[in-house]
Amino acid sequence: MRGATAIIKKELRSYFCSPIAYVVLGVFLFVMGVIFAKFVDLYQRFNTAQQFGQAQGITLDKLATYLYQNMAFILCFVTPFLTMRLFSEEKRQNTLELLFTAPMRELEIVLGKFFSAYCLMLIMLALSGLYVFFMVLWGNPQIKIIGATYLGLALALACYVSLGALISAMTSSQAIAAVWTFIALLFLWLLQSLGQGITASWGPIQWGPTLVYISPLGHFNSFTEGLIHVKDVVYFISFTLFTMFLTHQVVESNRWR
Amino acid sequence: MIEVQGLTKKYGDRLAVDNISFSVKRGEILGFLGQNGAGKSTTMKILTCFMPATAGTASVAGFDVFENPYEVKKRIGYLPETPPIYLELLVTEYLEFVANLRRIPRSEKKKKMDAVIERCQLGDVRNRLIGNLSKGYKQRVGLAQALIHDPEVLILDEPTVGLDPKQVSEARGLIKSMRSERTVIYSTHILSEVAATCDRIIIINQGKIVAQEAINSMGATGATTKTELVVQRSSEDLAQSLRSVKGVRSVQLISNGKERVIVETDPTEDVMAQIAKVAVDKNAGLIQMSPVQLALEDYYLNLISGKRGISI
Repeated sequence: MRGATAIIKKELRSYFCSPIAYVVLGVFLFVMGVIFAKFVDLYQRFNTAQQFGQAQGITLDKLATYLYQNMAFILCFVTPFLTMRLFSEEKRQNTLELLFTAPMRELEIVLGKFFSAYCLMLIMLALSGLYVFFMVLWGNPQIKIIGATYLGLALALACYVSLGALISAMTSSQAIAAVWTFIALLFLWLLQSLGQGITASWGPIQWGPTLVYISPLGHFNSFTEGLIHVKDVVYFISFTLFTMFLTHQVVESNRWR
Repeated sequence: MIEVQGLTKKYGDRLAVDNISFSVKRGEILGFLGQNGAGKSTTMKILTCFMPATAGTASVAGFDVFENPYEVKKRIGYLPETPPIYLELLVTEYLEFVANLRRIPRSEKKKKMDAVIERCQLGDVRNRLIGNLSKGYKQRVGLAQALIHDPEVLILDEPTVGLDPKQVSEARGLIKSMRSERTVIYSTHILSEVAATCDRIIIINQGKIVAQEAINSMGATGATTKTELVVQRSSEDLAQSLRSVKGVRSVQLISNGKERVIVETDPTEDVMAQIAKVAVDKNAGLIQMSPVQLALEDYYLNLISGKRGISI
């Protein structure tokens, strides 16, 4: 796996050598900051309302759910910018030849690429821990629920990144990779609402629930409620592994053409 | 060291490499010559395990490129047509990355990097961004990448394209300096380069090998000399007399508008003088006498235009 670690190191270096990492981190934190400010404002209003005996049952954790659902959605916008260059840039610069003629397996290339982008995403996630810090400082959220939410976010990000890597492996244009990754992620999210309205079935397959199951949104939502279901964890992990398997196939097919 | 048997590669319907076979001995520098699109790069890509062949076998250092790519890749240094460099990295960062990919032990990494920087003369630019380097330096970084792990076999795809004349001669010097130390396959379409650096050449045209010879047997370095005589009256008698001159190997009469005689001789001045004397004595009406430079160029152009043999 030395090849994979070499790629991770090099990719992280490339991210931070170019403005891309800083811009993406900056924009993400700015947008999240705005949402967090809104969230703090909401929290204060609920606090005031509760003093007058209104809005019972609304807790900080409930409000935090909105914060993190927003975050999961915003990460859909952010992911394509970090994954777009993974393979397409190698193709454009003709550097795939270097990787393919080095003594390592294609799997190492795929893993290296995946984990480099994933590491950066996790760094981003860790920076958003600042909000948790403020919540603990001025409220008393249930740390366990927030922990589960972060686990959910980390798992969801693995899906996002693997999908982005797959799409990046299919084109030599970063822009095309970014656009398609964004469309694919958005579509996955929308499947949730799309599936809810469908009652058609085909044999034993109920289309509605199937589409809802395919969407990561529902799986992620149970994490925000502090529920860690095995089925959700399995969903995220199998989604990621399957996409990485496809990426591996696509990367390998590059040399046959 | 390198054995290629019946190698064939098809891109869809297009036959890029058509049943070629050759072998390269240890320590030999082989020039791979051909027009653009002749199949040079494809052959190299197959040898480096970048691409599988449609048919045939190839082995490097006894390891088959299809069955044991890992062992093959370990022994090969490869510089593709476009140097595989990351423009956003510093030269040292890039070389360190390659060293890691090549699994060079941590303890040797620094030493090997310094050695290759020294060898490819990258000392001045080691802490500069590759993207800001000139084409010549980029090419050298690419070469450094191929050399960093001390490969037994070096495969260079048009390593001197885009270099200025000084850099070209430096690159040639570098390649020559590896003679006997490494096995080198090196493709180009510049003929003088092959003559200057290689031990042996393979000329490839439309996916087929059309010639495979040691450099000196092609007359490029001039084991024999040809002299062209333009005369007013050529005759078989004249040809006979010329043949009897010591040092003359063959005589050829050509008459297409102008009467010409091509005399192949040992490369000594005495023979020339003798030939001139015979032509004058025979009263052939000698008009002109000039050496024919059978350059690699002619040889090559004749071959790829489909004509076998040499015509003047």
